[in-house]
Amino acid sequence: MAEVSLKNLTKRWGDFIGVDNQSLEIHDREFLVLLGPSGCGKTTTMRMIAGLEDPTDGEIWIGDRMVNDDLPKDRDVAMVFQNYGLYPHMTIFDNIAYPLRVRGTPKSEIEPRVKKAAEQVELTEFLHRKPKALSGGQRQRVALARAIVRTPKVFLMDEPLSNLDAKLRVTMRAELKHLSRALKITTIYVTHDQIEAMTLADRVAVMKNGIIQQLGTPDEIYNDPANLFVAGFIGSPAMNLINGSVQDGHFVTTGGTKLVPVSAPDRPDVVLGVRADDMRVSEEGQGGIDVRIYAFENTGEATLLTVQWGKQRVIAKGDRHLRKDQDDMVSITLDPDHLYLFDPETGNRIKS
Amino acid sequence: MRDNTLKYLLVLPAVFVVFATAIWPLIESLRLSFTVGRLNRPGSLDQYLGWENFTWAFSQEPAFWNSVWVTAIYTVLTVALTTLFALGLAMLLAPGGKFRSGVQTLLILPFAMSPALIGVSFRFMFNPEFGLFDAFFGVMIPPLADVSWLADPVLAFAVCVMADVWGWIPFLTLVLIGGLASVPQDTIEAAQVDGASGWRVFKDVTLPQLAPVLAVVIILKSIFSLKTFDQIFMLTNGGPGTATQTLSHYIYFNGMKYGQIGYAASVAWLMVIPMIFLTYAYAKFVFRKD
Repeated sequence: MAEVSLKNLTKRWGDFIGVDNQSLEIHDREFLVLLGPSGCGKTTTMRMIAGLEDPTDGEIWIGDRMVNDDLPKDRDVAMVFQNYGLYPHMTIFDNIAYPLRVRGTPKSEIEPRVKKAAEQVELTEFLHRKPKALSGGQRQRVALARAIVRTPKVFLMDEPLSNLDAKLRVTMRAELKHLSRALKITTIYVTHDQIEAMTLADRVAVMKNGIIQQLGTPDEIYNDPANLFVAGFIGSPAMNLINGSVQDGHFVTTGGTKLVPVSAPDRPDVVLGVRADDMRVSEEGQGGIDVRIYAFENTGEATLLTVQWGKQRVIAKGDRHLRKDQDDMVSITLDPDHLYLFDPETGNRIKS
Repeated sequence: MRDNTLKYLLVLPAVFVVFATAIWPLIESLRLSFTVGRLNRPGSLDQYLGWENFTWAFSQEPAFWNSVWVTAIYTVLTVALTTLFALGLAMLLAPGGKFRSGVQTLLILPFAMSPALIGVSFRFMFNPEFGLFDAFFGVMIPPLADVSWLADPVLAFAVCVMADVWGWIPFLTLVLIGGLASVPQDTIEAAQVDGASGWRVFKDVTLPQLAPVLAVVIILKSIFSLKTFDQIFMLTNGGPGTATQTLSHYIYFNGMKYGQIGYAASVAWLMVIPMIFLTYAYAKFVFRKD
């Protein structure tokens, strides 16, 4: 059990900056997700915590010890790799037992602990097999068991679900959440999948170009995005971003349509962000603005309407029983309580 | 003409070339090994002798046994040393290793030299009058200052081994670099995080995954060492005395120098026996189903 804190952490390769002077406090027993697109520095950050990568600058603290100069083996962390990193020549039992063996655990203790870890991930019947005889999901469980067989200070998980197919990913995600709640060990989890981040995290750090864009609970990240990047990255479908200006307390599109009252001072350039969920779809003439449907998609649990809004296209979510067709007209109403304004230059949120 | 006939006609020239240059000499040497086969005695190439050449080698020829021992020790030493050095170098030069890039190209240099040339240059460098190594070792290790390397049976043997190891390290290193590159990096990193020291990572994770490639390397090098000829021929010519006379050299001497072509052929066929074992093991590892 331990806090992890990063102090002005930087990683450079020549001119390329992987992680740019970032500081982050991860609380004891917290599940923190590093979220971002590929190349944003999230995996590099994790690898530096594990000791697999040396920071160019800055400090890494685990508990009350600065670990910059410690080898991975001395940091007391456990890691789950994207490609599982199982030892192909060892049986599942030996794979799970390896962290205990190399740390000199007494022989009599090894077997019960391996069995217990295998039980926690429901693998007991496969202990005598080799990794290649297992499916992807089972291999992922072996990797998990190998991490939980000890009680490390910190768990590090590097996109552990991304090699699984979509259906299995959902199952494993729930198992992972259940397990992490049960174990109560500080966990740092890297992913590019925002649903994983939203569902698993106590707090999420959204990263881009080596810089943490926003740090907050899943609620804060979703409902109170700090900038255009976070707003566009979180949520599926992505938040609609509409260019325009603020005039007389209203948002006006670049096409000149007076759209919705906003509580912000007038300014010429602004981006309005609105989620598909926060737009009400009604029959033509019965709501805010009438628009033509560009594409109508039925996902089963909802309907998605891509509508042509002047020169821009906007996605609205409709009732799952709604049935429309391309080129039909509908009316869209924006929820004035869930609108976000951004500065198009800096990308920063304009708060009223 | 039918396609069926044509395809046989088209391969015929190739089959003929293989038969004339490989199959026929093999059969002819097998036939010769059962004859008196003296180059200086007309008609003896057709004079049937039965198994006498073979029994002669085993019972009447200390020089044969000498060359068997020389070859055996030479093979064990060169295989072991070359593999160890190559493995160490490969670890340093492999992706993620400490010295990559430029050094790799430099490493290939010895491999670009023909074994005969290696033999000549090593003989030159161990020359007691103006040899570079001779002078170098003389300065570094004073007791070796006045020795004549190639005149001493043990030292001459050591020089042969040295030249062979030097010449073969690059090839083995390159193969092992390839082998190391195919060991998944995340298994190594997993072991580091799991708590293994550098040595244990190598022993528990890297080496077992490298084992198939390592086996191929050892078998291949054993085959190469067993048939060493040109380097020895140029470096010591089997001497002093027969201290560095490998089997190949022994065969050459008996066949070409003494004209005992029948006897030489029979010893050559004796050498086929270990070669068959090694080739079989090699094929098993290379084409293994996994």
